[in-house]
Amino acid sequence: MSWKFLNKSTPSLERMYRVIVAPVITEKATLAGEHGAVVFKVAKDATKPEIKAAVEQIFDVKVKAVNTSVVKGKTKRFRGRLGVRNDWKKAVVSLEEGHSIDVGSGI
Amino acid sequence: MQVVETKNEGLSREFTITVGADEIDQKVGAKLEEVGQTVKMPGFRPGKVPMKILRQRFGSSVLGEVLEKTVGESSQSALVDRELKPAMQPKIEITSFEEGQDLVYTMAVEIMPAITPVDFGTLELTRYKPEITDEEVQNALDELAKNNRATSKIEKDRKTQSGDVVMLNFKGFVDGEAFQGGEAEDFRLELGSGQFIPGFEDQLIGQKAGEDMKVTVTFPEEYGAAHLAGKEAIFECKINEIHEYTDRELNDDFAKELGLESLDDLRDQMRQRIESEYADLARARTKRELLDVLFDKHDFEVPPGMVQSEFDQIWEQFAKAKEEGQVDDEDKDKDEEVLKSEYRDIAKRRVLLGLLLAHVGDEAKIQISQEELQKAVFEQARRYPGQERQVFEYYTQNPEMMASLRAPLFEEKTVDYILELAKVNDLALPVDKLLESDDDGDEKPKKAAGKKAAAKKSTSKKGAAKKAAAKKDAD
Repeated sequence: MSWKFLNKSTPSLERMYRVIVAPVITEKATLAGEHGAVVFKVAKDATKPEIKAAVEQIFDVKVKAVNTSVVKGKTKRFRGRLGVRNDWKKAVVSLEEGHSIDVGSGI
Repeated sequence: MQVVETKNEGLSREFTITVGADEIDQKVGAKLEEVGQTVKMPGFRPGKVPMKILRQRFGSSVLGEVLEKTVGESSQSALVDRELKPAMQPKIEITSFEEGQDLVYTMAVEIMPAITPVDFGTLELTRYKPEITDEEVQNALDELAKNNRATSKIEKDRKTQSGDVVMLNFKGFVDGEAFQGGEAEDFRLELGSGQFIPGFEDQLIGQKAGEDMKVTVTFPEEYGAAHLAGKEAIFECKINEIHEYTDRELNDDFAKELGLESLDDLRDQMRQRIESEYADLARARTKRELLDVLFDKHDFEVPPGMVQSEFDQIWEQFAKAKEEGQVDDEDKDKDEEVLKSEYRDIAKRRVLLGLLLAHVGDEAKIQISQEELQKAVFEQARRYPGQERQVFEYYTQNPEMMASLRAPLFEEKTVDYILELAKVNDLALPVDKLLESDDDGDEKPKKAAGKKAAAKKSTSKKGAAKKAAAKKDAD
């Protein structure tokens, strides 16, 4: 385990804004929204506690749980050469009952 | 939707219309759903975009569209409910609207007056016909003969006179150099015709054929070619032959030469031609009198907006004419205010008659057939020789232009229709009477009539066009 999982102190505000990259707006994400979860694209090196802290701070809500997954970049052909799109981290943040985030209204 | 009438004066009405917020919301929702079926958005399959996101993304633009439509529809239905015929486009002003709030706007509209035409059977009119005297026919024939007379070379040796035709060689020099276009051989020049620059022909009078001579002239200052204007030029001239006009006798031979049977035939043809020339004039006069009568007999309120726009048009024309210095003498000394009120009367008269004719024509179900329209287009095209095709295309491609052709036709037919119903006395008038009768009567009506006649076409055009527009709206 690397050092970042041992560091328990809350991240700085600057770090928080860097953790949350963008909301994910897809059919699947809206479906999750109906069950009280919000989906974000987050920094590749963000940890679950970091994400939890960031979401709670920035959107002023209470977070129940954070699930993350790394979405692998697609292999694409460009001018006959193979290239790989960047991987990115997706975080499904479940909120406590009674909390919600209006996705798309910006930070 | 609530409609409150806030003003009801004469022909103008004003309404305050309120459309509920939920009504608008509903429409926006329906519109968004429609959009959502086709819109493509990353992350969503087409048609699967949730309403919430659609609203975020397209809400405001759809709202604008819906508002526009709502205003149009609600104002229209307000008019239809009250069975009002707007004379012009209603003026709509939005008082307040914010998202989630009621839409409130005011609509000011001028309605068409209720027109009740008089019974045309009671009208007594005079239909004028030109009466062509034998004298006039004779004059015209003489003129024709003069234009067709031949020239013949004179055999005896004599000096040239004014009225002779000379066959001329000439070569012109300016500053000792020949210039372009200043040279010709055997040029046919009628002396005293003023065809050449002033002074030239005079110097050729009194000369003998076959002699070389020099003519010195000065080009006029406003001569067409700039490099020659105002310069002195010397022409070396030689008169080759002197010709003299021989009068043509009016006889059967002359008629045959023109492709006719006999002199009587020619006379008849001539008479017909003169008659048809003056027929238009006679008809215009009949029509003017008819319109005068109609104007006297009808008095209904006309929409002030239409009068205003008509007046503006006249005034614009007048201002233009003034700038170019083409103002009638009688108008010159008049005060602007006086002129304005005069022109306003004319505008009112035009609008009134335009509306009336449009109404009558409509009631009588007067139609302009496609062929008639086609004919009018051809007539227009014929006015621009060489460009017939372009003109034709222009008209077929611009429905507005077609409408502008349709209007005068419609007016003519309506006038015919009224003439048919009215008691008409035929009266043949000699031509000079027909012409001069414009001047009798007192000052005012003549002026109004004259002006009106000049621009009458545009009046009824407008009336008809407006009517057409109103009709379309009603549909």
